[in-house]
Amino acid sequence: MDKIIEVNQLKKSYKKRRSKEYIHAVNDISFTVNRGEILGLLGPNGAGKTTTIKMICGLLIADSGTITVNGINIREKRLGALNHISAVLEGNRNLYWRLTVKENLEYFAGNRGLSRKDVRERIEDLLVKFRLKDKESELVNRLSRGMQQKLAIAVAMLAESDVILLDEPTLGLDVETGYEVRELLKEIVRDYKRTIIISSHDMDVVQDLCERTVIINKGKVVTDDKVENLLKLFDVRAYTLNLGGLLSDEQQQLLLQKFPQHEYTPDTYESILQINLAKSEEIYDLFDVLKLETTPVESIDRSIVNFEQIFMKIVKGDTADEMAQSS
Amino acid sequence: MKWLNLLKANTRKEYLELKRYLPNTIAMLFTFYIVFLGLFGTIQFIGDPSTQDVNTQYVIVNYIFWFLTITVINSIGYEVINEGMRGTLEQLSMSPMGISRIMAARLISTTFINLIIVIVLLYISMLTSGQWLNIDVITIAPILVLTLISMFGVGFIIAGISIILKQVQAFLQILQFILMGLTFVPLSLSPVIAYLPFVKGIDLVREVMIDGLTWSQFTMGDFMLLGFNAIFYFALGLGVFVYCERVAMSKGLLAHY
Repeated sequence: MDKIIEVNQLKKSYKKRRSKEYIHAVNDISFTVNRGEILGLLGPNGAGKTTTIKMICGLLIADSGTITVNGINIREKRLGALNHISAVLEGNRNLYWRLTVKENLEYFAGNRGLSRKDVRERIEDLLVKFRLKDKESELVNRLSRGMQQKLAIAVAMLAESDVILLDEPTLGLDVETGYEVRELLKEIVRDYKRTIIISSHDMDVVQDLCERTVIINKGKVVTDDKVENLLKLFDVRAYTLNLGGLLSDEQQQLLLQKFPQHEYTPDTYESILQINLAKSEEIYDLFDVLKLETTPVESIDRSIVNFEQIFMKIVKGDTADEMAQSS
Repeated sequence: MKWLNLLKANTRKEYLELKRYLPNTIAMLFTFYIVFLGLFGTIQFIGDPSTQDVNTQYVIVNYIFWFLTITVINSIGYEVINEGMRGTLEQLSMSPMGISRIMAARLISTTFINLIIVIVLLYISMLTSGQWLNIDVITIAPILVLTLISMFGVGFIIAGISIILKQVQAFLQILQFILMGLTFVPLSLSPVIAYLPFVKGIDLVREVMIDGLTWSQFTMGDFMLLGFNAIFYFALGLGVFVYCERVAMSKGLLAHY
């Protein structure tokens, strides 16, 4: 696959204020991004996501390691590499509040050396696409937070660069606006076919949009895998059974042999059995055990794991098995 | 072409913001005029009547240049601080044109717009005082261009410092008075100050506007010093700015929010 971004052994430390100590914000991070891919860069607060994104954007100089964008080393040819990148950093901070929506778009195009004539059609297209056409003459400080965010994304799209970096695109937005921005991002992914790196705490964004995720914790990459694979890896077959009575000693003995990790809470009227299955076929073994005494089964619930739980577990350093147990 | 588009975009932005902050712009011009009236009144009522006319002419030229240096040099410092706090400085830094080119475009566009304001203020001042200066555009223009290049150098230094130092406002307030010193103190006081930024240029403009000198009356030394001053301070300013930009990118100081 054609790699558009290659991050290799990246390190960045900051000196603590009034101290000789250093904070290792990014500590030997390596990953690649394929052309046309949507990558989620995840991690808890202070994990090093924004530092990594800012180094890719050329806003921060790494202590060591290399970043290449479209084969261009950002340290050696920063401006050349920036031709291929645009970014939205922390939402509405990227705009001029005393300029209108259209003026902002025109100004940022001008700052990339493009004339108003060059981008006239592109701006019209973006205004329509981002549902900002009726607000084109509105000052940015009069727009809602969600509209400001949409405009910031439109500004990043305007450059038609190969890679777009979005740092927390839904941060601070209410549920409705967050949903709207998420839908907009889906449209961008579908219609514009760009390489996108999204750093987000919003796991819905990641699960909905990203093909692959790089999870960073304490400045290091802890996971680099496809979202689909992670969901499969942590696809927990954890069941909770409500039984209409107690299990016999023989049944308990058999359960211990076949499912050593199970949890049994006996009760004369409603016992609870929690069990993790390594394979889906094992459910028949469970039924065989229950059938021995024809124990009545009142209900069976399967625990479903979402990406947020997977993320939490990865960050805590749990494995898939540990996760299955705790579910 | 890209350069021209960059310049056009920044000139338009400066103009639009000036228009959007119209009350602020009017207040600035009003303050300028009130202070000028104060200076003019002082010369009229307290000053030596034998040098009254010359003093008024000096005040007009010096005051106009002081206003210009403040709007060009000081405002770039405040602009960088504001942009750092808003987060737009980071956005500008991601432009493939480079932040130093963008800052150069800002300096040129700010100067261009403020020069128009300054010309209007100059005529208002002359009208109020009844002292008509020699506006020899052909002689003044090249001197002014070289003087402005030197000013841009200082502007770059201030912009660079403003990027890496977050609490620079107090310094910018003091800077106004340093600029006052550079624009008001005559070269005849000490020839050494000709080596300070834009002092030589302002002195030559004063000679044209007050004494009516033309190009042919200046010496080769004047031209050499003017050219050297422009090149030296511009190169120094650009060097300082690029260095400060590197420091900011190493320490993560491009955003002050």
